[in-house]
Amino acid sequence: MSENDETRSTNKENNNLEESSGQSQLGSNETEVDVDSVEVEKGSGFLRLPIARIKKIMKADPSLGIASQDSVFLIAKATELFIESLVVESYQNMTASKKKTISKRDFDSCVESIDSLAFLDGAIYE
Amino acid sequence: MVERPEDLNLPNAVVTRIIKDSLPEGIAVSKEARSAIAKAASVFVLYTTSTALLVTQKNKKKTLTAQDVLLALKEIEFEKFVEPLEESLESYKKSQQNKKEQKAAKDKAKKADEEKSSSKAQEEPMEVQTTDGDKENTDD
Repeated sequence: MSENDETRSTNKENNNLEESSGQSQLGSNETEVDVDSVEVEKGSGFLRLPIARIKKIMKADPSLGIASQDSVFLIAKATELFIESLVVESYQNMTASKKKTISKRDFDSCVESIDSLAFLDGAIYE
Repeated sequence: MVERPEDLNLPNAVVTRIIKDSLPEGIAVSKEARSAIAKAASVFVLYTTSTALLVTQKNKKKTLTAQDVLLALKEIEFEKFVEPLEESLESYKKSQQNKKEQKAAKDKAKKADEEKSSSKAQEEPMEVQTTDGDKENTDD
């Protein structure tokens, strides 16, 4: 609608999660390209979590012998996807209210309501 | 194995970055929620690993492989990750292969340089080389 958005978002396709009709709070230094760059990163295998640290966590399992490099990569990448989906789920729980901050309670209710997150029940202590 | 809390945690800055990139602008995450998400991620690593190891053991193998991980993810109801992960893995393998090839090419070039400089050094007496005037290098 507003031509401003069109000139600003040359890279962005219709991937917007939020309907920002002139309400874009540029508090952080994020640009609108970010949504796309996440997808580009997924496709190119770009990894943010450090593989060495992931491997350390894996080693907490005593039955781990040797792990192939590819397997460690996959677990690291899967964990990134996991964080993303956890955040998105928590956020979606929240859109009914007018809140702008995801709280621990949003996280907790997310864990309680989603089957695949049952493994987290009781695992997070504060 | 001594469990030191820092070792089993993922770096805060990276987790925060991933969280931020998953959200639209203007949405914040409380410190407590962020911490919980980071811990959940660590638990996820462990959970996926142990499930994958069960697959490995079932196949009577000793090495945890990529296939084991993908199967495990299906078992723990994260099948939606499998396709994007397979793509990422392809790119990762390609970039690893490129790195290997670059290194091999580098090593080869270095070796060739060394051979060049050693045959040049025939003019000056070098203690390293034989003094038989052996200019030919046997190429295998």
